[in-house]
Amino acid sequence: MRSAFAFIFASMVILIGGLRTADADNSSGFLQVTGPCKLEFPRDHAPHPGFRNEWWYYTGNLKSETGRHFGYQLTFFRHQLTPFGGSAGWPDPPSAWRSRQIYIGHAAVSDISAKRHLQAEKVGREGLEGLGIGGWVQYGQDVTLFLPGWSAVIFPDSHKIAVAGDDFAFQLELKPAKPPVKHGISGYSRKGSTPERASCYYSFSRLETSGSITVAGKSIPVKGESWMDHEFSTAPLEPGTVGWDWFSIQLADRSEFMIFLLRREDGGLNTASSGTYIDSLGVLRHLDRGYFDVRVLDTWRSKASGAVYPSGWQIKIPLLGIEVDVASNLPDQEMQTSASTGVTYWEGSVSVKGVKGGSPIEGQGYVELTGYAGPFSALK
Amino acid sequence: MFFLRLFRWFSLRNLRTHWGRALVVLLGIALGAAVFTSVRLAVHASLSSFVRSMDFFAGTAQKVLVRPGGYLPEGVLPVLLGHPAVKDFSPLLTTYVRRSDVPGDSFLMIGIDPLLDQAFRKWRISGDRDQATERWLDLIREPYTLILTEPLARELQIASGARLKLDHTRNSAEFRVAGILMPEGLALVEGGRVALTDIATFQEFTGLYGLLDRIDLTFKPKATPQDIEDLARKLPAELELRSPSAARDSGTAMIRAYQLNLSVLSFASLFVGMFLVYSLVALNVAARRRELAVLRSLGASPRTLFMLFLCEGMLFGAGGWMLAIPLSSLLVKYLLHGVSQTISTLFVRVQVEGLVLSPLEIAISLGVTLLTAAGAALQPAREAMGVPPKEAMEISQAGVRRGHSVRRLALWALGCILAGIPLSLLPGVAGVPLPGYLAILLLFIGFALLSPWMLERLGQRLAPLLRRYAGIPAYLAGRYLRDCGARTAISVGALITAVALFTALVVMIHSFRHTVELWVRQTVSGDLFVTTKMGQVNRFRFAIPETIVAGLKQMDVGADYVQSRRYQMNYGDFPYEFEAMGMETFLSHGGFVWLKGDPQETRLRLTQGEGVLISEVFATRTGLGIGDVFRTQIEGSSIELPVVGIIRDYRTDGGVVFYSWKHFKERFHDPQWSGVRFFFKDRASEVGGRVSALRNAIIQRWGDALDMVSGKDLRESVLRIFDETFAITTVLLLIALAVAALGITTTLTVMVLERSRQLSTLYAVGGSFRQIRAMIFWEASFLVAAGEVAGLACGFILSYLLVYVINRQSFGWTFLYVVDWGALAFSLPLIILTALAAAVPAVRMVFRAPPAALLRER
Amino acid sequence: MPSTPLNEPIIHAANLTRVYPLGDGSVVGINQVNLNVAPGELVVLKGNSGSGKSTLLSLLAGLDRPTSGDLSVAGNNLSNSHGMDLTRFRREVVGMVFQSFNLLPTLNVLENVSLPALLADKDAEETRRKALELLDWLGLKNRRDHHPDQLSGGEMQRTAIARALINDPALILADEPTGNLDSRNGMTVIDLLGQLNRTFKRTVVIATHSDLADALATRHIRIRDGAITDPSCDG
Repeated sequence: MRSAFAFIFASMVILIGGLRTADADNSSGFLQVTGPCKLEFPRDHAPHPGFRNEWWYYTGNLKSETGRHFGYQLTFFRHQLTPFGGSAGWPDPPSAWRSRQIYIGHAAVSDISAKRHLQAEKVGREGLEGLGIGGWVQYGQDVTLFLPGWSAVIFPDSHKIAVAGDDFAFQLELKPAKPPVKHGISGYSRKGSTPERASCYYSFSRLETSGSITVAGKSIPVKGESWMDHEFSTAPLEPGTVGWDWFSIQLADRSEFMIFLLRREDGGLNTASSGTYIDSLGVLRHLDRGYFDVRVLDTWRSKASGAVYPSGWQIKIPLLGIEVDVASNLPDQEMQTSASTGVTYWEGSVSVKGVKGGSPIEGQGYVELTGYAGPFSALK
Repeated sequence: MFFLRLFRWFSLRNLRTHWGRALVVLLGIALGAAVFTSVRLAVHASLSSFVRSMDFFAGTAQKVLVRPGGYLPEGVLPVLLGHPAVKDFSPLLTTYVRRSDVPGDSFLMIGIDPLLDQAFRKWRISGDRDQATERWLDLIREPYTLILTEPLARELQIASGARLKLDHTRNSAEFRVAGILMPEGLALVEGGRVALTDIATFQEFTGLYGLLDRIDLTFKPKATPQDIEDLARKLPAELELRSPSAARDSGTAMIRAYQLNLSVLSFASLFVGMFLVYSLVALNVAARRRELAVLRSLGASPRTLFMLFLCEGMLFGAGGWMLAIPLSSLLVKYLLHGVSQTISTLFVRVQVEGLVLSPLEIAISLGVTLLTAAGAALQPAREAMGVPPKEAMEISQAGVRRGHSVRRLALWALGCILAGIPLSLLPGVAGVPLPGYLAILLLFIGFALLSPWMLERLGQRLAPLLRRYAGIPAYLAGRYLRDCGARTAISVGALITAVALFTALVVMIHSFRHTVELWVRQTVSGDLFVTTKMGQVNRFRFAIPETIVAGLKQMDVGADYVQSRRYQMNYGDFPYEFEAMGMETFLSHGGFVWLKGDPQETRLRLTQGEGVLISEVFATRTGLGIGDVFRTQIEGSSIELPVVGIIRDYRTDGGVVFYSWKHFKERFHDPQWSGVRFFFKDRASEVGGRVSALRNAIIQRWGDALDMVSGKDLRESVLRIFDETFAITTVLLLIALAVAALGITTTLTVMVLERSRQLSTLYAVGGSFRQIRAMIFWEASFLVAAGEVAGLACGFILSYLLVYVINRQSFGWTFLYVVDWGALAFSLPLIILTALAAAVPAVRMVFRAPPAALLRER
Repeated sequence: MPSTPLNEPIIHAANLTRVYPLGDGSVVGINQVNLNVAPGELVVLKGNSGSGKSTLLSLLAGLDRPTSGDLSVAGNNLSNSHGMDLTRFRREVVGMVFQSFNLLPTLNVLENVSLPALLADKDAEETRRKALELLDWLGLKNRRDHHPDQLSGGEMQRTAIARALINDPALILADEPTGNLDSRNGMTVIDLLGQLNRTFKRTVVIATHSDLADALATRHIRIRDGAITDPSCDG
């Protein structure tokens, strides 16, 4: 889950409002994730209307030919306003602008060597056929998600993503090095104490990536590795949960792990916090709350929002002999999304160094930190 | 420091001694300043509300995409979506709606996509953030929801969450109020009379599926002009990328021009007040000549004396201005509504929410008042400067008067008047006829300078005659005026100015009204006007549904119908209306007020669809004339037609272009009907009853889907609006006359006071009180008569300037010159009476002190 | 202002002429007058109406300018002076007493007296102190807040004398100072002028018809048809 959850969460706060109140969970009429997800590909790359929230999330660490290091993120977020067959009937005929779905895009480039973090956001309603502002289309097995100037095309064996922001752009092609990873129980990923506090969640943990990033008007060819998450759900976070820390780490031995920590108001962690380890051959290992330990080593204070984020961690997974330090590559990778979700969160490229199975190891990854700029309500 | 003390000792104490005169002058200036200030403030209120409204409405857009005359298909969105130059875009639709269950005024409904619009306009829903977000999401989530401004909610007596039924041209529907807008940004448009709804709801409500009024655009910072041109090329040719400020700029320019025109008109009162200041300061200089000489002999510099009197003038300016504040606050309330009404009628729709006390406007009014007063004191102050110190040694009080050569003044006068001729031929500056106004100023000055010569002539010619027929008092009065002509010139000048303004405005307004009446009778002819519901307020943008049109055509009531379609267009930046109308039928019942082109031939060419008819305003503004080709794009059709005639039209100051409906349909596309008017064929019997019958029949069939007004009511309302518009002018006029009457009072009083000894001597040598009072009264009569005769002459010249120069350059129209002899014959004697009444205080002043005491004084 | 050496005449006129244009011709005010007055003199200038006495006086006072000839008063060359120079001369060098008093009606006694000093930009407090001193000396102290129309002729003329003295002028000019006064008040005024001359060493020129000042005069000058007729008087 990743950030998605966060996102959703955040987004819901903003978009739907009232999440924090008990009766905010107005999920009636929406489909609920309560059991096996039965994910099948490429079918399930496409959106799942009927569930309230869904997101597709790409992050990656790339390098130019001269070794210039870039991090990037691109998220498409789908939010359904009303369930199908809801009480509010549509006029007949409806306007092409009638819509149940809103699509939100967040994108960023971390120009690490230049110490610059560029970000952009887009929002648009799906509308009825032909409006073309935001949404998705499917040709054969190919799924396209789009917003004005932005797109993510998911082919059965590769992805193409493109973003054109005001001060940066990127166009990347991503090829999965491993099959999709279904988190939790075959993709059914618990986020709380009850069965419907859950999402369907899978990832591509390693995508060989190439393409170009444009910053300051210059297009730079880049290569590297990406991570992709796709997650959908209807339930909001459990009351008492204030945010989460999410880690996606790619180690040099071609293994990866993902961990999400659901932080409670009282400072503890929700027991649903969990993770997944993927070995170099693609074999998975679910990591329950008790299998890992994350300790904050360092913090960073945002001048823009005043929020204090962790910026360095020690992660221990004793079972796997992993003991690594994770450090942000650039302190300021804070996202401020005033126009779309209104959420302020941290989403950034990190470097990893430590030992695995007794040998030194390095790696890279992305971290998402939400709920630090005040509880969700302090979002804007 | 010392100067202030001297000013207090020398000038203020003197004014205090003669406080009556000073008060009259202050009052005159105050009236003038009050009119000037309140007119400017009133127009400013309209202007600022208009600009604010337009700015909030325009938001941050850099360009606006429209389809001239029609709606934009939303099918163009993909072009914008895919174009690299486009940063953000926001589609927008507006219409006027009104509550259907409760009667009330219409208000503006704006349809937007709340998501896309965030980049353009500022608006927020009240309540905490979560709630607010929830509510604006409701706009998208839930059909038929809207959010209103707080004042509008109050006016409609509706709260958030409540439901209300709204009427639109084609539909009525129930809406839920999803929230209340915070008073900022978009909520301030149209003085707060706005509601926001989602674009989907808007389209479903109005039936405008797939259509937009406009799309606002911003471009990426790196987009070059070439990129934008590239975008324009990729868009369908019938669309236009406009500057978002175009509408604001043209509207602002129109209101500004109107403000200047009204300012000039209201300055007339201040101008008349200037005469008052002049006459009092000049009197003080003359009467205190000896004191000035003494001051000089004691070592006062000429500059000190000059400043003393200049400051005296400025003191009148400042005092009058302060006195004007309470007057203005009363007057402005009256003007505020009238002015915004006029602006809405003539130029652009404005909603004035209240008075804005602009520091600039206040500075302007103070500055103009001070300058005017200082200007008036300039000449007397210069005279004071020239008093030689040697006069201090002279024993007699008979102050030396440096007589201006009356003849030389007359030459100057002639020069001023003649200089007006070339000036009036010059074009205006940015819609403001500055040279015309200068010509008018010169005209006033010219006539004022001419008056001494006239009085001298009058005195000389009349004196012997008067002696024979009116007795010795009249004779003496005539002689006196002959000899002191230059002194009285100023107050006669004030009267001339006021009478001239009066005459000119009477002539102008009458000519205007006469022409408008003719136009109303001819062009606004018809017995019943039918348009879509709320067609007028929505500027006839919506066509009458086909089914209703078919039904209307078949109405068998012995009436001809003239269908029409009106399009609101722009010719460059100049807004105008294009009207396709059933020309042949129209010409058989009504007609146009022809200005240029042979009516017979033009009629024929019009009915055959050979060309368009343009209004005078349109011709003036665009420079198009008969034979020129008129080009435009309407709803995708390229139109190129020759101009076959020019007519007078007073619908708006925007100009109109007429073309045959039938030929429009044949040559371009089906323009549909936005309105239709019926003419009963049988005019012999009473029409009123048949109009009601037809109206009832239509209501029975289509309910309130159509708005109707009888031709008679429409024509009456046009004339009523006309009269309301000129009500302001009339008020200004009356105040100018009042100031002039004050002028007469001061002059005569001064003349009496100045000659106390002389009058006493007259008494001593055997004149009776009666005779002496009669003499003063005769003097007044001469002054008034001279002022009135010259004023009349000046007024006729002025009226010509107003009709053919000022109106043409300000509004683009002229009218048939018709003199309202009746009104003049009635009112001019009335002015004489008023002026003579103003002489009464002066006459009563004679011998307030016993003559013996006056003579005893040294 | 250049100061006058003691041995220099305070008034020096050589071939002084003033002609007034009138219609097509002209009227001679004074013609070729030569005159030297030493500091400390009291000169009584006599002559009939229209003899040129007032013309001479107004030239000496800087109220008028000569048509030709030289005129220098207290070291100021008045034949070539203009505008501001003459204004300053009037403020600082001469004090003028008129037949018709010429008090400003809107100013009270104290203000009238202070006026020339204030016009000359002198310190207001100092001026007030000095004006009160003068009024005290002239017996007008209790009249200081009265306006001219509340004064008798003698009081008015004494006020005028105080005004003439406020700037400590080197030269006091009086034009028929007793013309509008009864003989008792006239005598008082003449006595005052005499006192100024003797006690305070001021140069005084009195133009008058009357004989009141004769006894005090250090010099008599008679003027007729614009010329000085008594050459012996030309000292």
